[in-house]
Amino acid sequence: MARPATGEGQRAASLDAVLARAGFTDVPRAVGLLGSGLPADVLEALTKDASRTLLEAFDGVGDPDLALLGLARLGDAASPEVRGRVLAAVVDGGPPRRNLLALLGGSAALADWLVAHPDDVDVVLRPRNGVAADPETMRTLLLEAVGADPRADVPVADGSAFDGRLDAMRHAYRRLLVAIATEDLTCRDPESFQPEVAGALANLAAAALEAALALARADLPDGGRQARLAVLGMGKTGGRELNYISDVDVIYVVEPAEGVEEAEALKIGTRLASGLAKMCSTPSREPSLWEVDPNLRPEGRNGPLVRTLSSHLAYYERWAKTWEFQALLKARHVAGYAALSEAYLAATRPLVWDAIGRENFVEDAQAMRRRVEDHVPAAEADRQIKLGRGGLRDVEFTVQLLQLVHGRVEPSIRSANTLQALAALSATGYVGRDHAAALARCYRFLRLLEHRIQLFRMRRTHLMPTAPQDLERLARSMGSAAEGAEDLLARWRATRREVRRLHEELFYRPLLPATARLSADDVSLAPEAAVARLGAIGYRDPQGALRHITALTEGLSRRAAIQRQLLPVMLGWFAEGADPDGGLLAFRRLSDELGSTHWYLKLLRDSSAAGERLAHLLSSSRYVADGLTRSPESVAWLDDQAELEPRSIESVMNAMRAMIKRKDEPGPAIQMVRFVRRRELIRGAIADVLDEVPATTGERVITPVADVALAGALRIAEVEACRSLGQEEPPSRFAIIAMGRLGGAELGYASDADVLFVHDPLPEADRETAEKWATAVSSQVIALLGSGGSEPPLPVDTTLRPEGRNGPMVRSLASYAEYYDRWALGWERQALLRARPVTGDEGLAERFVALIDPLRYPEGGLPAGEVRELRRIKARVESERLPRGVPPTHHLKLGRGGLADVEWTVQLLQLQHAGDVPALRTPSTLGALAAAREAGLLDNEDAEVLQEAWSLATRLRNANVLWSGRTTGNRVDVLPAERAELAGVARLLGFPPGHANELEETWLRAARRARTVVERVFFD
Amino acid sequence: MDRQQEYVLRAIEERDIRFIRLWFTDVLGVLKSVAIAPAELEGAFAEGIGFDGSSIEGLARVSESDMIAKPDPSTFQVLPWRGGRQGTARMFCDILTPDGEPAMADPRNVLKRALAKASEAGFTFYTHPEIEFYLFQHQEHEGAPLVPIDTAGYFDHVARGSGHDFRRAAISLLESMGISVEFSHHEAGPGQNEIDLRYADGLTTADNIMTFRSVVKEVSLEQGFTATFMPKPIAGQPGSGMHTHLSLFEGDTNAFYSAGSQYQLSDTARAFMAGLLRHSPEITAVTNQFVNSYKRLWGGGEAPSYICWGHNNRSALVRVPMYKPGKSQSARVEYRGLDSSANPYLAYALILRAGLKGIEEGYELPDEAEDNVWELSEAERRALGIEPLPGSLEQAVRAMEASELVADTLGENVFNHFLANKRQEWQDYRAQVTPYELSRVGII
Repeated sequence: MARPATGEGQRAASLDAVLARAGFTDVPRAVGLLGSGLPADVLEALTKDASRTLLEAFDGVGDPDLALLGLARLGDAASPEVRGRVLAAVVDGGPPRRNLLALLGGSAALADWLVAHPDDVDVVLRPRNGVAADPETMRTLLLEAVGADPRADVPVADGSAFDGRLDAMRHAYRRLLVAIATEDLTCRDPESFQPEVAGALANLAAAALEAALALARADLPDGGRQARLAVLGMGKTGGRELNYISDVDVIYVVEPAEGVEEAEALKIGTRLASGLAKMCSTPSREPSLWEVDPNLRPEGRNGPLVRTLSSHLAYYERWAKTWEFQALLKARHVAGYAALSEAYLAATRPLVWDAIGRENFVEDAQAMRRRVEDHVPAAEADRQIKLGRGGLRDVEFTVQLLQLVHGRVEPSIRSANTLQALAALSATGYVGRDHAAALARCYRFLRLLEHRIQLFRMRRTHLMPTAPQDLERLARSMGSAAEGAEDLLARWRATRREVRRLHEELFYRPLLPATARLSADDVSLAPEAAVARLGAIGYRDPQGALRHITALTEGLSRRAAIQRQLLPVMLGWFAEGADPDGGLLAFRRLSDELGSTHWYLKLLRDSSAAGERLAHLLSSSRYVADGLTRSPESVAWLDDQAELEPRSIESVMNAMRAMIKRKDEPGPAIQMVRFVRRRELIRGAIADVLDEVPATTGERVITPVADVALAGALRIAEVEACRSLGQEEPPSRFAIIAMGRLGGAELGYASDADVLFVHDPLPEADRETAEKWATAVSSQVIALLGSGGSEPPLPVDTTLRPEGRNGPMVRSLASYAEYYDRWALGWERQALLRARPVTGDEGLAERFVALIDPLRYPEGGLPAGEVRELRRIKARVESERLPRGVPPTHHLKLGRGGLADVEWTVQLLQLQHAGDVPALRTPSTLGALAAAREAGLLDNEDAEVLQEAWSLATRLRNANVLWSGRTTGNRVDVLPAERAELAGVARLLGFPPGHANELEETWLRAARRARTVVERVFFD
Repeated sequence: MDRQQEYVLRAIEERDIRFIRLWFTDVLGVLKSVAIAPAELEGAFAEGIGFDGSSIEGLARVSESDMIAKPDPSTFQVLPWRGGRQGTARMFCDILTPDGEPAMADPRNVLKRALAKASEAGFTFYTHPEIEFYLFQHQEHEGAPLVPIDTAGYFDHVARGSGHDFRRAAISLLESMGISVEFSHHEAGPGQNEIDLRYADGLTTADNIMTFRSVVKEVSLEQGFTATFMPKPIAGQPGSGMHTHLSLFEGDTNAFYSAGSQYQLSDTARAFMAGLLRHSPEITAVTNQFVNSYKRLWGGGEAPSYICWGHNNRSALVRVPMYKPGKSQSARVEYRGLDSSANPYLAYALILRAGLKGIEEGYELPDEAEDNVWELSEAERRALGIEPLPGSLEQAVRAMEASELVADTLGENVFNHFLANKRQEWQDYRAQVTPYELSRVGII
């Protein structure tokens, strides 16, 4: 209707204001819509108080613009009679108006459907109590829509799907869906109402499956009655907590009817199942429902679509994985032959509740948890409502894990519904009441959010929208749950954090003793339940763990009070490590040591990064645990990434110099040197554990700090030697040359320092005094670093010197020159390849290097006789040096394809070619390997194989020390034989839990390949 | 305790079983057995039975010998030859490390890993073995000449033949243990018999072969014979092979079948065969694991000495049997290299992985060999690109040493151990002085 021209300006102005207040974003367009069609009639009919009525009418409508547009389109599409009813409803107000506008403004997709089916508007206008209808009524309505008898044992549609019955079924479905959505969108407190909506949606899906099955049967001769088919709802369908639109998870069970062959029944059952899925998803005039997803079935998408009951059971008993039992927890009869579903459930239930007793339950549960947390595409990470940490899946997982752990002895917590299970867990005292209630609130909020997002376009999505207008609409449709878009986002983020926190509280807090309760609502598990829970997350000695927990949290001290706050989450972190029990024990020791220092608990309380790191370190590495207990101040580093970076050699050197300057006595001074070394080793070890034990730690940390220790020791030793000989000034120049692994900057945590000592008497000095002095310096260096004391020793080894153990400890440069000139043997050339000056007189060191270079980098390569000799020695060493009782394949240093194999091969290439190829002149194994490859002396593949074996062996030796805390003994050099040790080392190297075998295989493979190369390159 | 375990406990009660034999296999395929009393079984299901692995071929690692045998309740069977009342039953075991990981060195685990690999690619592996063996009169003393129980030939019906009785007794025992027999007949050699087991998934077949060997040994003892699965017990007579028909299924469909293509073979089947052929030299040390195996492979008769395939070509290593119209499910290929003494777990694992490799990498299948390759000259075979299989255990070991496929399938531990064992066998054999040598060279 056209408006009268007079006074239009004034009216429009006030209308603009009213519309803006009512929440319209595009006011001019709204004014336009109100100028014609049904909306204009509405405005016309509202003679008085039109503004107030408009405000009222659109209050709480998600998207008023959309609702008004929907109204206009509905008016245009409807018959005069229907149009009259709609007009009356809107003008009269009350529930019908509220229903209509809420639906039109809450779901664009359902509004479109209503416009296409104006005759169905009654389903929206009708006032209602409770959600839509009970399950039986829904089933009856949908079956009748396809002409099937709801009371029949096997309902069959009375005609083919494609003469209209499929559309009739979908139409009936859509009417019920619209009814549910209307109820949902108009209720006062949608958050509390959410479980009922989800339940109704699940019931509706079950009814639709039943009708789809009746349709599928109609396509087969005799309704396919030869096969009894049961459809079990899984996932959210099974738990009666379905979304508006998501895949409906099902499992099919088929049994032959009387007198029918099993094979025949399976064939027909398969056709029924695929027919059923098609009825739900195939395109037709009426919109499709959803995808039916049968992939939770045995063998997943590779398995047959339907199986007999006994075939299901055979699979579950023999092949099924833990996650499949977790999935089965949700199973429920939804359609088809109910007695068969019951038999299926009766037979599978015991398997579900015994799953906790399965081997590898702990590892499987941890892997499932990681899947929950990790499977989020990076681009979606901060928009995901369902996946990731703090998402819906996370809530469900927490509840299901608790159900699996305690359901064996507690039948009342076995509900398939997340909220009901949570309430039951709380009622039976397995989780704290407050925490359970808070988690339920989080869950309902997240589900409501998901519902509202899906409802708008009826699209399967679990992502928060990003456009501002979408967020604004979402906020409005959430009812009282949010005030505007900003508030909604803030609350959503807070909820995610809360879910994470509550997981720890629910799972670990009840493990604390009754005396450590924080509030009256907290619960404390009975001992058996606590043992079951600790065992389920990987504690090997749950009883012992409980004792530590009690000891840490008992008492009235402030320290115990803080522990009560901290410990639940720490318990979870220890459980993620390879040795939860060891971690907890070390934590207790550390806390006993540090408990009263002001910063320690504060740090853990205030920095969750530090707490998590600490827990990880303590439960992964005994070496680090011991180190942290010995220098507890290192715990403070955990909060600061910069503190965990290796120090530069200069800064360590300066710190050491400053410290020894303050000491007059050699004893205390050397302790300072050794203290500096220990501190840096712990720093390196922490970084190693956090970073999968890289092969470069020797070069970046362990060797530099050994260099510093040698420098400090030499300084002190020189002063001491002068003092003992009554010399004012040193009578000789002195230098330390690193050999072996120290020379190559490849030290491990357990390596000795191989060195040569060289001196050069000053021209004016007395030769004999100089000799005496140099000898005193040498023995002092060895004694200072190697003797006992509170700080760990660095054993110094000089057996690579000329004449070995029979030769003098230190020689003058001239004596070296004379010796090498006359006697140099093949093995000495080889050993000198690693020589590297460390500390002492630089000029002397340079002259020493100049002396040995022609020996180790012989011009024109090695004479054939020496090559042969080197090969012979290597072959003999292989058979002689390997310790008894260690399989040659498992010795990392001397075994097949081990460090020695690779190093000898590289060194042979150096001796043969370094005279011509300067790049080969390096003490570093990997450096020389790279140079040899660069120079074409090794092909790329061989070089890679050698590097891989060498790096892995190096990492394994360090991981052996880190795991066991042992720095001496043969076992450092052997791949662990003991299983727990192998598993711990595997975890350090970054293998997932339960993959110890894989580590062993990886090493054996790398070593075997390396040996093949060695046999070819070194021996041929 | 799951239902299968409960079933076993109940069955033991009902049938008054007094002993349960826990079976497993060493690396060479020798059956090992531990007997436990019914009272110990529940514990065995829960935690397994600890044993010292150091005395079991291939199982032990030098520094750690504790192993756990965990019975697989789905393999429970009463041993019929032990008498119905107060009888004995058996179950196959999985071998675990003390911390419950499957032991890499357990042959059953090797096969399970290979099957899992197939399953990742969406395949189930079915096998159907034709097991040949010889029956001899009971030997008076070790070293006495072997006397076959008859002198009949291929498919001969022997009147009142003791072999006939023997097969009937053996088959009825097998059937009573739930192992279906497809076919049985007299083979070409004197005293030689063949019994074919019905097709089943690879693991079940391997378990069945182990059971089969004990059944045959039991029955022969009872009837006063000696049965042997030795690959070549009599020079100049056919050896005992274990030709195995192979197929892969995707769900319920045979992945080897393709209507209308050559021999109704799908591309998957062709690639599988190509993989099998290309890797056959590498796996021969396992499929033909004894010095004696090579006397079968190179002793003429119908032994498949050359790497080629054919349709109904009885000299080919891989044979495509005649397709029966309407039987798409039974499309299959037959690997004829395997002999009756092989460890079926390891052999099937390798055969499967070789075929899968062909599928993964899309190997091209070489042309079919249409002639009897034995009758071709060396030069003709070279011209056709037909290579021989390894001629001795030593050659087979060398081929295996260089194989990443075999190392990966067996796992490094079994790989090492197997090679070491076989090198030793070859050395021991080389040190022998045989009657043949004495007769040829003794007069010089």
